[in-house]
Amino acid sequence: MKIQFTHYMRPLLFLPVLTLVLGMSGTSEASESLFIDLVKSSDESFDNRSVNHVQPVIEKTVLAKEQYQGGSFRVLARKDEIERFKCTSCHTDKNVLVKNGQELTHGNVVIDHGQEGSELGCIDCHHPEDRDFLEDKKGRKIDYDHSYQLCGQCHFRQKRDWLGGAHGKRVQYWTGDRVVYNCATCHDPHSPRFKERFPATYSVPLK
Amino acid sequence: MSPKKTDTTTAITENVLGKTSSRRSFMKGLSLAAAAGSAALATGCIPSANAASSEQMKLRWKEFFKKNYRLMSQQEKDDTVARLERLAKLQDNMYVQINNEPPIEKVLYGYAFNITRCEGFMECVTGCIKENNLDRKTNTQYIRIFEMEPGKLDPSTGDGTYFHKVPVENKFYMGTQCFHCENAPCTKACPTKATWKEPDGIVVVDYDWCIGCRYCQAACPYYGRRFNWGKPEIPRDEITVKQHYLGNRIRPKGKMEKCTFCIQRTRKGRLPACVEACPTGARVFGNLLDPDSEIRYVLKHKKVFRMKDDLGTEPKFWYFID
Repeated sequence: MKIQFTHYMRPLLFLPVLTLVLGMSGTSEASESLFIDLVKSSDESFDNRSVNHVQPVIEKTVLAKEQYQGGSFRVLARKDEIERFKCTSCHTDKNVLVKNGQELTHGNVVIDHGQEGSELGCIDCHHPEDRDFLEDKKGRKIDYDHSYQLCGQCHFRQKRDWLGGAHGKRVQYWTGDRVVYNCATCHDPHSPRFKERFPATYSVPLK
Repeated sequence: MSPKKTDTTTAITENVLGKTSSRRSFMKGLSLAAAAGSAALATGCIPSANAASSEQMKLRWKEFFKKNYRLMSQQEKDDTVARLERLAKLQDNMYVQINNEPPIEKVLYGYAFNITRCEGFMECVTGCIKENNLDRKTNTQYIRIFEMEPGKLDPSTGDGTYFHKVPVENKFYMGTQCFHCENAPCTKACPTKATWKEPDGIVVVDYDWCIGCRYCQAACPYYGRRFNWGKPEIPRDEITVKQHYLGNRIRPKGKMEKCTFCIQRTRKGRLPACVEACPTGARVFGNLLDPDSEIRYVLKHKKVFRMKDDLGTEPKFWYFID
């Protein structure tokens, strides 16, 4: 039987071209997504202790009281970095002499933390009785080395990112046992925003 | 050209000729003979006459005829590193430690840049200059930071030469460098196969195999590569002595160079200098194949994008916002 080629069959002529085009776009998409698929599909944990040359960090660290996706980790200790710690060496029942007043009050601390008009006060974070500790809004005592527990009660998004690794940074190594910066290592808790300053260098035009 | 292919080619040549000499060793022998005459010394690519017959000349001679890094055996790599260390001592009176640390298995490096956090302090740039022995004379920088208008995501619209107090209200900062593309166009453009992607994802340059034609620079859609017009000039006390053959060793004149994710550091588990220098924590670096790594957390939980994603170059460098 002879098939009559009629005008309504004309679009069929484009069928081979169409399949070719569709086929090509299909393969190109597949090759583009290959790399990211490889990354997503690798779910075998890397042995972070297998890399040679990784040494323990020099700075003093403490084991964090929380976990990240890879288990436990360490944070940089803070107490040794605080100038006048331990606080109870001054905060005693003894009276302060007037001549020592200048030295013993925290006149150098400028608070620029909290929304304008409702800035935080000292005992919003510091423990009102036990000066060697911080206190959160639930009344729990918090160690200075674990200040992330305190900061996280307001800055919970930042804390979530910090635990995961999208906020803050690791110390020295990308592998090995995870050691991260504490909140107060980078941020001054009394005025946490970074100060405006000149950049460390400048660039010349590329072209 | 893969090492395998070269091996088979060599094997065939040897079978056919029934000799053990390759073209390279033949050329070496020929040139050694020619070097005795002064004619060859005048060509310029051969050590000068006053260095002749010294230890320095012998070393430079051997260096001139070494293979591409990818074709070297471990012994040959160790030898060339030892020669380069000795040459640094002889020529510049410098003690350097060059290594050829191989890639770590099951590691693919990835990088993420937080455009919300970066405040344009440019400490990454100074960290990079110091670590990678970049030329201070021409102010070579592998990293560039652009001050951007809100809503724009193309660094070519930003100001890359700002110098005023930062951060500026209602501006954001975006850093660029080599993105270490998985499908890197620069490696395809190189006529001498002097640049390639290592198994851990780092795109490297064999500085001694590079002829300085700058095809790769033209092929890179991200302006990630830098050409040096001279040997880097660095104050003596600022030279980083811990170097890598494919990384921060002091490049000869007229070579293409670029960010190597600080290969000399990262292959020993350390963070790149820019990540370590960043005061705001805007830079995240890690192993893409490790599901517990920071970089994988960013890719999974953050809004990420890559520059010129539609080109299909597959950069291993993501930008993200908080």
